Amino acid sequence: MLQALATTLVVASLYALLGAGYVLVYRSSRVLNLAQGDLLTLGGYFVFALAATFPGLPAVSLPLAVLASALTGVLVYVVLMRPMAGHPIFAAVLVTITLGILLRAVIVFVFTDRTRHPLGNLGLTNPPRALPGGAVVSTFDLVMVATAVVLFVGLFVFLKLSPLGIQMRAAGERALLASQRGINFHGVFALSWALAACAGGLAGMIYASNVRLEPSLDVLGLRAFAVALVGGLDSLAGVIPAAIIVAAVEVMSVRYGNPLLSDVSPFLCLLLMLLVRPWGLFGTREELERV
Amino acid sequence: MRRRALTAALGVLTLAGAVPAPAQAPEPYRIGMTAAITGRFSAGYAPTYEAYRAYFKRVNDAGGLNGHPVEITYEDDRGEPQRAAAAAKKFGESSILMINASISATYKPVQTEAEATKTPLLFGGGVCPREAFPPAHPLIFCTTSYGSKWDSRMALGFIKDQSAGKKVKVGFAAQDIPLSRIELEFAEQLAKELGLEPIPVVVVPGAASDFTPFAQNLKDAGADWVFSWAPWGVEIGVFEALHRIGWKGNYILYGHQPAQDELTRLKLPSLHALTGNAMFTENLPIHTEIASIVKGQTNHPPHYMAEGWTSAQVLEAGLKKCGWPCSREKLAQSLATVSVDTRGLRGGPIEMTPENHYRKVSHYKVYRWDAAKNAIVSVGGWHKLDIK
Repeated sequence: MLQALATTLVVASLYALLGAGYVLVYRSSRVLNLAQGDLLTLGGYFVFALAATFPGLPAVSLPLAVLASALTGVLVYVVLMRPMAGHPIFAAVLVTITLGILLRAVIVFVFTDRTRHPLGNLGLTNPPRALPGGAVVSTFDLVMVATAVVLFVGLFVFLKLSPLGIQMRAAGERALLASQRGINFHGVFALSWALAACAGGLAGMIYASNVRLEPSLDVLGLRAFAVALVGGLDSLAGVIPAAIIVAAVEVMSVRYGNPLLSDVSPFLCLLLMLLVRPWGLFGTREELERV
Repeated sequence: MRRRALTAALGVLTLAGAVPAPAQAPEPYRIGMTAAITGRFSAGYAPTYEAYRAYFKRVNDAGGLNGHPVEITYEDDRGEPQRAAAAAKKFGESSILMINASISATYKPVQTEAEATKTPLLFGGGVCPREAFPPAHPLIFCTTSYGSKWDSRMALGFIKDQSAGKKVKVGFAAQDIPLSRIELEFAEQLAKELGLEPIPVVVVPGAASDFTPFAQNLKDAGADWVFSWAPWGVEIGVFEALHRIGWKGNYILYGHQPAQDELTRLKLPSLHALTGNAMFTENLPIHTEIASIVKGQTNHPPHYMAEGWTSAQVLEAGLKKCGWPCSREKLAQSLATVSVDTRGLRGGPIEMTPENHYRKVSHYKVYRWDAAKNAIVSVGGWHKLDIK
């Protein structure tokens, strides 16, 4: 049972990192970023490429990979999303789908379709760690959990206390009013995309180091999309319980039910939530109407 | 006047006769290949396509076969049945042979088209369909090193040998695709017959975000050995998860193309890769030759070419035997009696018979990491299995 709980926490952390990306972009621009899974994959390939360039220097390659992910987010906003201002949201969502397809194609073109493992070039190992109660997880499982905790604490502090974070919330709630008050909402939106790409990229870097790296990792993004909807698309706080619920259903269905259910469990949770509370655990009704 | 015109016309005709007519290029052997060159499943199939390209470029550069070039039309089906069907329809119009190097979901539509147009169909790179096994379908051939039922027989026989009379519990890790599940359900039954103690098959979704819960099920059931026969991601994913949670048993999987790299990366002697192809770590002359030929023509390492190369060897032998002109019927007859020396890529020749379009004898090697030698070693050399 303890092993199942430990695994649930690890899977929930992965989903939380990805889910945070969906919520950050949605809160600021009302766009559903359906390329979030591909930003995860890209983050993994950034770390793979940088680790190959600076072998044995994780202190160099990891921060550079995080920076590259953040810059990708800014670039996506400036090149693709900003020109979509004034167009229907639906069109912007389609742009994110196209972006995902393009990213996948570029990744295969540059890195081929082979499964990669950046850990060797990073010069790091991933030994098992025994937890109290007999559960065992890998070192990068623990890194995944720690990263999710740090990211969420950081985001909450940033959004609640920092002037930029408050501006971000304001721009997300009333963009017109915010711009009239002198808030550079394009800058704020670009920052949201940078943070979202960063969260996805971090998940990709850790997942690639822990499990594997291949162009098809974007499917993880689809599962986390269900997490974001279960939590409430406009609620960062909702991501945490939603990630834990979805991960728990997934892990427990393997352990105590039919393992094949694990594949659809995020969507079963989503379906149930849509029937009971369509705006999600912590989302708002008004946001649902906008969607 | 008339005489002058006649003389001029004769002159023109003479001149025209004196200028040699452009040499007519010999007609090619027309072949069609549908392959998952891109898309989600390309990792396992694109290397076959690349191997074929490199192989027949060399053949054509050397003058072709029986004085005729081999023209292969490649269609990227992305692992999608409808695309494969469209490609097969196209090949059915002009090709003397269709090749399928794609996922099993594309088999049926391609096979239907092959049967409708009476075109022989060669599977190379994807799992062999049962129609290639005895009693074989007259049009279906397969060169792929792995084939359902036979691989399980070999793997379980190996586990039994390694257990040296001890009763061992064997777990099975399948992916949620019909072929993998059917194979391992068969293996579960076979294990009972062999006196092993089977644990019910654990079915893993290909897109699982974490393999740990599946691995935990196998560990909790007390598996001493686990056999996995599935696409590579699941095979290796379950093993790594088992290792992460401290499982101390032995694991045997089918050694697809990445096996050589992964044995080296993981350096774990408990991981055994069962394969029909000699690993390139053996550094045979054919391995060096392939590496030099494909250099600059592929993004994959040379050892990924083994499946495609062997398949191309069989096709070359079939076409040579068919001669010129080579009809579909004649090519099917040629392939049905082909005997190909794979020059060490496999443990023996690929011999087909009118009843057996797979091979008379299947050869397997089991590789694992040897910590003392710091290298990949084979456990007991080539193992033979008669295909009846």
